[in-house]
Amino acid sequence: MSRLTAGERAERLLAIVPWVAARDGVPIDEICERFDITRTRLISDLEHLWFVGTPPYTPADLIEVDIDDDRVWIRYAEAFRRPPRLTPEQGLALVAAAQSLQAVPGADPDGPLARGLAKLASALGVDGRVEVDLGSVPAELLDVLRRAVAHGEVLELDYYSHNRDARGRRVVEPHRLFVDLGAWYLVATCRSAGGVRTFRVDRIHEAVPTGEHTSTVPPDDLPSDAFRVGGTGGVRVVLDLAPSGRWILEHARCEVLDDRPDGTARVALIATGDAWLERLLLRLGPAATVIEGPPDLARTAASRILARYRSTPEPTSDAAVRGSSLHP
Amino acid sequence: MDKLERLLNLTAALLEAVRPLTAEEIRSRVPGYPDDKVSFRRQFERDKDELRQMGVPLRIDEVPGSDPPIDGYRIRKQEYQLRDPGLEPEELAALELAASVVRLGEGGGDEAFWRLGGSGGDAHVAGGDHAVGELPSPEPLAALFGAIAERHPVALRYGGLDRVVEPLRLHFTRGQWYLGAHDRTRGELRSFRLDRFESPVRVERAKRFEARPAAPSGVEPWSIGDEQPVVARIRVDADQAVWAARSLGPTSIAEVADDGSVELAIEVVNRAALRSFVLGFLDHAELLEPAALRTELVEWLEALV
Repeated sequence: MSRLTAGERAERLLAIVPWVAARDGVPIDEICERFDITRTRLISDLEHLWFVGTPPYTPADLIEVDIDDDRVWIRYAEAFRRPPRLTPEQGLALVAAAQSLQAVPGADPDGPLARGLAKLASALGVDGRVEVDLGSVPAELLDVLRRAVAHGEVLELDYYSHNRDARGRRVVEPHRLFVDLGAWYLVATCRSAGGVRTFRVDRIHEAVPTGEHTSTVPPDDLPSDAFRVGGTGGVRVVLDLAPSGRWILEHARCEVLDDRPDGTARVALIATGDAWLERLLLRLGPAATVIEGPPDLARTAASRILARYRSTPEPTSDAAVRGSSLHP
Repeated sequence: MDKLERLLNLTAALLEAVRPLTAEEIRSRVPGYPDDKVSFRRQFERDKDELRQMGVPLRIDEVPGSDPPIDGYRIRKQEYQLRDPGLEPEELAALELAASVVRLGEGGGDEAFWRLGGSGGDAHVAGGDHAVGELPSPEPLAALFGAIAERHPVALRYGGLDRVVEPLRLHFTRGQWYLGAHDRTRGELRSFRLDRFESPVRVERAKRFEARPAAPSGVEPWSIGDEQPVVARIRVDADQAVWAARSLGPTSIAEVADDGSVELAIEVVNRAALRSFVLGFLDHAELLEPAALRTELVEWLEALV
């Protein structure tokens, strides 16, 4: 039995006492199970209640505890008629957890979680006032992954690799699901790649259990942040940013090498795939200059996209009228 | 006397008190405290901390009629007692499963379920230690949640300005917590990013504000802006269509072609954000309309070639 402080034992009793007092004799085993307490500890804690009451502590002011025939009765515990309310930390943790699972597409809007969340939020006075968005992951997919991680099921994934801009099927042994930077990730041993990889769950088109169970012991140092999505390693890139490009400081994990008073900055980041870096550079446009890293990436990517626009007929447009105001 | 008994007796005495009790009254009434004043003080200070850690709302108020004013202690029943949410067993179990899958910060969570009537079953086992998402829990989060629930105004420094705001909602998106609040100082409704607060928050517990409807929910970047709204149409190739539809919701799909590609129609008031969204698809998507936006995008790309 782990050693609890008197405060922790008191906190649990403040919840047990009203629950038992509201009932006419509760089996000891049921209390132990509900409140995650051993029988020995429960009985020893209940015995202390004999000496608890309100001033002036005459026998009539003390709590009465009867343990008989494996059942417990608690009477005259008027001060502890109700359990303490949830602390803000506890209330928020519960509402946020329920809200994150309820917000995913496909969650049952009338299911037990939805009803429980609504009742709890209303009792706490925070109806509709907490919202958690962990990306667009369908509830069924999350369930499949959760089960696979818990039971070591091997999965076949249809996955779009954002980093390499390629979609394909692969067989993986899932190890861990986690949330980082506001999205779900799956860490798994990828049999096709022959190593541990991190997958963004919202890029998994489909996950199908193969029926096989994994035999691989997961390595100790599983990644638990979004930094290594797709694989390990990566290319170091150094960029000079104009003030209008500073948004990437919040968007990507980067190291600021030089933060200049005029708002420009030099930053270093690790690019885990060409496609990832292409997107970043295309979005930054003229606000970024590559100081170190693949020099032609933005140019070739821009040409590739432009080829697509040129191959489709120009929509009937007022573009000619607008002239050619080039973007800064 | 045992410390467990003393803490419970202290809690009961403060709960049943009809007015704040002075430290001296507590020493003489509650069993288990030493007679010596110095050791009593030391022990009482520790017990007060312990009550706060137990999540018991201990209030310090002036004792009415005391002159000079003396601090008194009490626990108000309306602040202490849980309002019964009336959860059915399967609702409690669903909440418990959710809490075992997504955690806030490092917090445990069993204590919350004790207060709600105990564990419904073996949810912790089902969740396991593997399947855990952890949401960040930055410093002011719980205090803001409490202030939202109790409708207390909050003072904070943000964007170089000291403000008093009426907190309305908390929103977690793209890895960040935001507070939606009515800013009294500026007289406007706005969002504040928690990691950009420039001071600790101060909850004005003595005051309450009138309830207002919660601010509108979080929105996509291209719908935050003040440009003239236009409807943009984007063709997305089949490979990426599932993801695009998932992230924008089914209402954004105007058309599904035979080859599996989709055409999205979305309202835009921020062109730069739309451009970033479309470029995210690399050459797997194409902005079709409006023509002016398409031309701007082409020009943006041409400048990079």
